[in-house]
Amino acid sequence: MISPGDTPCLKVENLDISIGDAVAVARGINLEIRRGETVALVGESGSGKTVTALSLIDLLPPPLKVTRGSVSICGQKITRAAPDALNRIRGNRVGMIFQQPSSMLDPSCRVGRQVGEALRLHRRASRGEAFERAVELLREVGIPEADRRARSFAHQLSGGMAQRVMIAAALSSDPDLLIADEPTTALDVTVQAQILGLLEKEKKQRTLSILLITHDLSIVSAMADRVVVMYAGGIVEEGPVATIMRAPQHPYTKALIDCSLMRTAGGGDLESIPGTIPPPTRSIPGCRFHPRCPHALARRQESACAREEPAATRTAAGHLVHCWAAEP
Amino acid sequence: MERFLLKRAIVLVVTLTLVSFLAFLVPWIGDTDPARAIIRSRVADLAMDSAAVEALRIKLGLDQPLLHQFFTWLGRVFQGDLGLSFTSRLPVADQILRAIGVSATLALSALFLALAIALPVGTLAAVHQGRRFDGIVTFIAQGFVSIPEYWLAPVLVLLFAVELGWLPSAGWSGFETLILPAAVLCLRPLAYFSQVMRASMIDVLHANYILAARSRGLGLAGALVRHGLRNGIQPVLTVFALWLAGLLGGSVVVEVIFAIPGMGRLIYSAVINNDMPMLQGSIICIVGLAIVINTTADVLYGVLNPTVTVSGDAR
Repeated sequence: MISPGDTPCLKVENLDISIGDAVAVARGINLEIRRGETVALVGESGSGKTVTALSLIDLLPPPLKVTRGSVSICGQKITRAAPDALNRIRGNRVGMIFQQPSSMLDPSCRVGRQVGEALRLHRRASRGEAFERAVELLREVGIPEADRRARSFAHQLSGGMAQRVMIAAALSSDPDLLIADEPTTALDVTVQAQILGLLEKEKKQRTLSILLITHDLSIVSAMADRVVVMYAGGIVEEGPVATIMRAPQHPYTKALIDCSLMRTAGGGDLESIPGTIPPPTRSIPGCRFHPRCPHALARRQESACAREEPAATRTAAGHLVHCWAAEP
Repeated sequence: MERFLLKRAIVLVVTLTLVSFLAFLVPWIGDTDPARAIIRSRVADLAMDSAAVEALRIKLGLDQPLLHQFFTWLGRVFQGDLGLSFTSRLPVADQILRAIGVSATLALSALFLALAIALPVGTLAAVHQGRRFDGIVTFIAQGFVSIPEYWLAPVLVLLFAVELGWLPSAGWSGFETLILPAAVLCLRPLAYFSQVMRASMIDVLHANYILAARSRGLGLAGALVRHGLRNGIQPVLTVFALWLAGLLGGSVVVEVIFAIPGMGRLIYSAVINNDMPMLQGSIICIVGLAIVINTTADVLYGVLNPTVTVSGDAR
């Protein structure tokens, strides 16, 4: 096993992300991924998952920007790093795959070239070497007739194929960390399972850490070692996957698990959380979940929930919970 | 691809036949009696022998029905025989061929110059969208569109030929005489190309595949060069083909001012001199060339953009 003294693959400390200087879309994000670990970042749409993911490789589209805190990958600082240093880390130490795989491929560039691109950049491979290696990688990610497929274009691939190509491209120069932002959301259910299986296989073959960003709890228990739950731009709970799924401590995590289809598969009614996630433009005093919280105390105006943001509490089960009701 | 080209070839023949008919009718619309015009072009004397006119009318078949005349004429046109010019009495086809070569040289020089400037400028404007550089580029482009050639050409001649004496003021004798007219001619396409390139590169900049390329370690410039340009240039190609087809017909103003023996001046003097065969031949050649150029552009578009299949079938 990995000793705790190892440099974490990803370390995020007190990260704030804002639109311009005014509107905060993510606040106080702390995240750590050890080597070989898979961490799932879970939350509803609009909770700030994708923005957080992009900030990790410093590719936030303006006017979004990191206003506080820091990100390091394999001990190398990302926040406020020089552009050249960032280019050497991206695609080399960290690969990324995205939600809409087909649109992530250049429509007028053969996929083999795109898969081999990181090798050309980071391993100084020649055009021919990169292409040969790309064909091998495509074969490895399960693309039939890889040498023919390497010469095809994005529009000739299905969504699942395109995601396999993206995975091959992201893993081409053997990164330590793979950021997978909703990698299966846009795919058919059967293809989803194949892609997740592929990620598992790759993870075992290499010493790969994965940050799996998803709203789909059903894939979390199968893939992740630890789960981090985000709500409205902040982390509300974090802990090992088994206890999070079995005994969630934060009311939001509980509600999220109750809503997931797995729990209602027995025939009960479909649950939902009343209300909607607040837009980042609305600032909520106190705990950001308190307006929707089923916890009785939170509804009271005079309670701490409505006045002050709860700090992280380490519970007996080993969870970090941001909730006034949490007991150590 | 073969079916596409075959289809375009049929379109070319049909269009040219229709255009030829219109061109053929030009003298009738203009109320010009060809026989009189021919005789006037040969004998300067205005006193015209009506017997001679009548004899020529019969000799040239001008007494035949209109459609009969048209098909006789069309048959010769498709063999490359566009008749003799009324003024020079030389074969029209030879003169047009020479003039189109001149106009093509001028047009291609101006358009490639415009392209060479517009692609980087438009890309930079897109990258700096909404900032000062972008504003300046848009402002200058608007200026270039509104400057009339008949004003700019004499100003440049006064400055570079008369005052500074760096360049010849007119004529067509090699590279030096090409510079000023190409500069005048390139400004308007330059403005259009740069604005089209800017708009298309703004789309490209927000494209997901650029984000993905950057996540592989390419810098912004690298990602744009490797994955942006090829996608961003496609709309510019379409505009380029339109301009090329337009300019091959010659730019009357620039060619007349700089005394360039191209299509513009050829048509200009044909109109002035009532030179019907020359006008008809010019119209047919220009339309034919425009179709050929647009077909070439479509084929090129398919080469640049793999999602476009160049085929004979409607998509």
